[in-house]
Amino acid sequence: MASSASGERKASASHSRSIRGTTPRLHDLASTPEAPRTPPLLRSTSSLYGSPGGSFRTEDEYVVLELGSRFVRGGFPGESTPRCTLSFGPEHQRRVGDYREWDPEYAQKRRKRRKGQDWGEDYELYRMDIANLDLDLVADKFDRVVREAYTKYFLLDPKPRRILLALPPRMPHPLISTLLAVLFDSCQAPSITLLSSPVLATVAAGLRSALVVDIGWAETVVTAVCEYREVHERRTIRAGKLLSQEMARLLNAHLEADVPPNAPKPDISFEEADEVLTRVGWCNTRPKSNRRTMYFPARTSPILEEFEDAPETPEPSVTIPFPRNTPPTNLSIAFKELAKPAEKALFATDTPLSDFDDHELPLHHVVYRALLALPIDVRRLCMSRIVITGGVSNLPGLKTRILAEVEALVQQRGWDPVRSYGSASARHEQTLRQQKEKVELRRDEGADKVSELLLSPGAEQTLPPAGLREPEVDAMDVKLANMALKHGPPPACNAGGEIRGVETLGVWAGASLVAQLRVRGIVEIDRERFLKDGLFGASMEKEVSVVPQRQSMGPGVVGRGGGDRASWTLGVWA
Amino acid sequence: MAYTFPYTYYSCSCHETRISPGASKRSSHPPPAEDEEDEQTFDPKNPRSNYSLYPLEHLLYCEDCRQIRCPRCVIEETLNWFCPSCLFEVPSSVVKSDGNRCTRNCYNCPVCSAPMPVASLEDPANPSPNGGPFILSCPYCHWSTAEIGIEFDKPTGITSQLARIANGGNPMPTQKDKDKERDRRKESESRKLQDLLLSGTSSSSAADSSAASTSFDDIYASTSGPTHDDLFSNLSAFYKSQLALQTPSNPFSPHMDLNFASPSSFSRIMNLYSSTVSKKQKRDKPVPMREAASALEGLRIHSPSTDVDTIERLRKEGWNASVSPAQRLAQPNPNVRLASELRPVATLLCTKRGKRCATCRHILSKPEAKITSTRYKIKLLALNHVPRISVRWLSPTPAAASTTTINSTSSSFGSGMPNPASVGAPSAAAGTFDYENIKPGIPTHFILHVSNPLFDPIRVTLATPSITPGKLQSRVTLLCPQFEVGANTDVWDDALGGGGRKGSVSVGAGGGDGQIEAGKVWDRGRNWTSVVMEIVPGLGVTGSGAGDDDDNDNDDEELDEDDAVLEIPIFVRIEYETEVGAEEGRIGMGPGERGGKGGEAQQVQREKREEAFWTVVGVGRVLLF
Repeated sequence: MASSASGERKASASHSRSIRGTTPRLHDLASTPEAPRTPPLLRSTSSLYGSPGGSFRTEDEYVVLELGSRFVRGGFPGESTPRCTLSFGPEHQRRVGDYREWDPEYAQKRRKRRKGQDWGEDYELYRMDIANLDLDLVADKFDRVVREAYTKYFLLDPKPRRILLALPPRMPHPLISTLLAVLFDSCQAPSITLLSSPVLATVAAGLRSALVVDIGWAETVVTAVCEYREVHERRTIRAGKLLSQEMARLLNAHLEADVPPNAPKPDISFEEADEVLTRVGWCNTRPKSNRRTMYFPARTSPILEEFEDAPETPEPSVTIPFPRNTPPTNLSIAFKELAKPAEKALFATDTPLSDFDDHELPLHHVVYRALLALPIDVRRLCMSRIVITGGVSNLPGLKTRILAEVEALVQQRGWDPVRSYGSASARHEQTLRQQKEKVELRRDEGADKVSELLLSPGAEQTLPPAGLREPEVDAMDVKLANMALKHGPPPACNAGGEIRGVETLGVWAGASLVAQLRVRGIVEIDRERFLKDGLFGASMEKEVSVVPQRQSMGPGVVGRGGGDRASWTLGVWA
Repeated sequence: MAYTFPYTYYSCSCHETRISPGASKRSSHPPPAEDEEDEQTFDPKNPRSNYSLYPLEHLLYCEDCRQIRCPRCVIEETLNWFCPSCLFEVPSSVVKSDGNRCTRNCYNCPVCSAPMPVASLEDPANPSPNGGPFILSCPYCHWSTAEIGIEFDKPTGITSQLARIANGGNPMPTQKDKDKERDRRKESESRKLQDLLLSGTSSSSAADSSAASTSFDDIYASTSGPTHDDLFSNLSAFYKSQLALQTPSNPFSPHMDLNFASPSSFSRIMNLYSSTVSKKQKRDKPVPMREAASALEGLRIHSPSTDVDTIERLRKEGWNASVSPAQRLAQPNPNVRLASELRPVATLLCTKRGKRCATCRHILSKPEAKITSTRYKIKLLALNHVPRISVRWLSPTPAAASTTTINSTSSSFGSGMPNPASVGAPSAAAGTFDYENIKPGIPTHFILHVSNPLFDPIRVTLATPSITPGKLQSRVTLLCPQFEVGANTDVWDDALGGGGRKGSVSVGAGGGDGQIEAGKVWDRGRNWTSVVMEIVPGLGVTGSGAGDDDDNDNDDEELDEDDAVLEIPIFVRIEYETEVGAEEGRIGMGPGERGGKGGEAQQVQREKREEAFWTVVGVGRVLLF
């Protein structure tokens, strides 16, 4: 590293030595970038005797990386958007000096998928199933991308920086180990903090608890986060990959209609399907299934009704150019058609629920089941904080659709885990109907504030049951409520019990916020320790308190400094 | 393929010596044993090889490790930053504060990424005093900022002007103004809440305050909703205020390091002695951080109307209004969907970087600091240390051009030729060879040319697998795998009649007089030797690989574009003797040592060295039927 860095290191080393008044230990002289220096002041305290002072100058700097299976985002803390979003196309995997992608003739050619290759496999960094994954190849790909990010976009001075890495929870250990090794090797990072992406998405939404629906590439992960902690998780394979495959199928079918019968069938490449999907793909905002039983909350309905029902005289269509097709063509396709892949891949409305395996449930069912599996008070918090994120969630209309579908499911089923009561189903339905009526009644009451039962002259004696009466106003309660309003959180923080979606700024922005606020992560991996033991150096216990225990002010404490932890853990990833 | 055929790639062995943490050793899939890996031939068709193969010009050489260094096994350090468009140097402090893009007038087209100059929209009928208004316009695709409704008053300082104009020409408040506005609104909100409480309208207070917060949301909604940046800064401010509330006031703040140097810890120590007070101020239970409650704090409730709007616009405007993935990735704001939201992209800064060997940290290359200079202070190229290997087609007869006419007239001459390669050679122009269409199954001769950049003669040993890996299984025979190459002596030695040549080249492998014969070199010069390589290009999968393919219903179709490329991995091992005194002695010995025995040490000490590496020679593309 540059002379400036080493100079600083030397200076700080001698400085700290003089403070301690002890002889230098071997540890101090080690040629590691993690040299002893004044540990960072994590939060400024109101200090009586001076400004927070020198500790800010030596504060550690971070680089924030978010890792997905198709994209890597990187940037600096405190910035709202990443500096770069890098993808893994086959163009990025060529040899150095291979410039064929710039050859205009080559760019016009459609590439065939290699034999035995999965849809879009060339565009992935990793997959969770590592049985057939060449981890060395993953390391190579990741290394190249990280180097590009550092040299082309970060433009850093040679000072080593810590890395805050946002990872999906539950990654296979060999994969984590491979990725970490690359980061430690090619970025020379002194330490890496791992944070799980659902928690970061929650942070970026401004919440403490949320149901995070991450619609990614290979799978959709629904994670219930309560007080910044993952409490439940469900997965389904209905996500980006199926969606783009479905889109390719649709486009192929439409292209085939124009092709003469004995010509070779069109086979759309991944890029073309992906481009169509991200440019003009959309999703119907209104549930198709069970429209009868649907109940629309007042706030959503008016636009939607018009939108769906008005029959359009000239069917709007979209013209999509396919320069790589042979012969190059412009495909005109009805706008309505472009919503079908999402319908089929994500919601699978045509298939009865009993035909699905556990790993391929439609999105709304996964969300519903995740909510159902939660304890009731956590469910109350989570159901009104549904955060939909991930690459596919940018599909226009998708978020609205998922929320509406979940709401419909809740309306239909309530929170009853039993789906079939067998011979008792008739009775169950009856009770259900009664419940529903009651709810409707209460809703009506809420609307006009006047209970008809009370007003109607015939029912002067029969008071309504206690549950339906207007609660009596207790003066003490009011006072307490006012107190709470004055000192406690605003009432909007206690929202719960209804299906509500909250927008998030994304996982990367959450990581950037966390790094900016200098919040310490649970999983912090030291370079030296990782190089020595790998992931097996992690202690087995999952929970390590970030808040250190109260310690006596002995010399040991002074010598150790706050930067060290005796053991480290893998937290959620363990 | 990138290079025109034939080409040579060199493999850097750095991926074998990567950091391998303990985890990989204990993982459930044990990697093949080390010695086994050494024996394996290099497979150029393996996807991993794309990451370890480099053209010779891209490689550096570490003289201390005596190894090739590829871009992956060097550590780069930035020397200076500059804008490639205006060539202004940017100091590192500015890079830190203003980011990685040019803050002057350099912008790239968001549609086609070409640099955009400033153009004037002046009306010639009534010229304005400064020639304005101005726009940025793309000379390549004719996109201009006029399309998104942005015009500039001045031709300079585009960045600061652009920061103040939103798409459509409306002024955009700066971040500072926004922050002030947010504080003002928050204050008024809390005041309202206070009023509400004081007035004491009891039961409906909650409903009213929620109504108040929604009205704030409405304010944002009227200006087309808070942007990504707005929300982020709101959230960030909210979290900061929440954390500040939480800051423990007790001296034993857990996050503090007990460092006597810092004033804060000093205050804590002082607090220790006045402990009576602090004990009474026992920390009360910290209030848990709450979540954001309004748009001012960064909360945004999902509303279906935005989704519906987007769909409606997509439906009306169609394909051309949308943004391609590449264009979107180039935008600083990742949420851009429509072409009307595009903004010019400021040019990314470039850097001049020095490179160091990752193992020994010696400098491998260091450019001159001046930006416009392309010279280097230090440059250790592999070109100067590693023999260059190249391949070219060997014309079937020494005088190919003259034989073509005879060939066509008398077939008897053709049959008498030493090899049947003439059939494979294009008959129209016998002097040239179509590397893009090599005929499969026909033995063809190529010349492998090895030239030596070192100042000592080298002994070269080449090895190839007899059948190339991959689907295209071609047979390769090196007719002379072991030979010597002369030293890279002065050019004049060669020109002035072989005086130096006698010394440097031994006649071990035979004369080498243009005969295709096993064990004999084809030709040699001052510092180069060429040998003949016979290749029988494979017939592809259908011919040779039928055994290992289970489903052969669509085999022939499945050949990838690169499968037909004939690439031959060659293992190169060179041995040479060099004088250690020349360079090593000066560095390795201390000054006193050198003074003592310097004289004879420099002359006598010769050291044997050897190096070995894989190369891949791309011969051409086989024409498969």
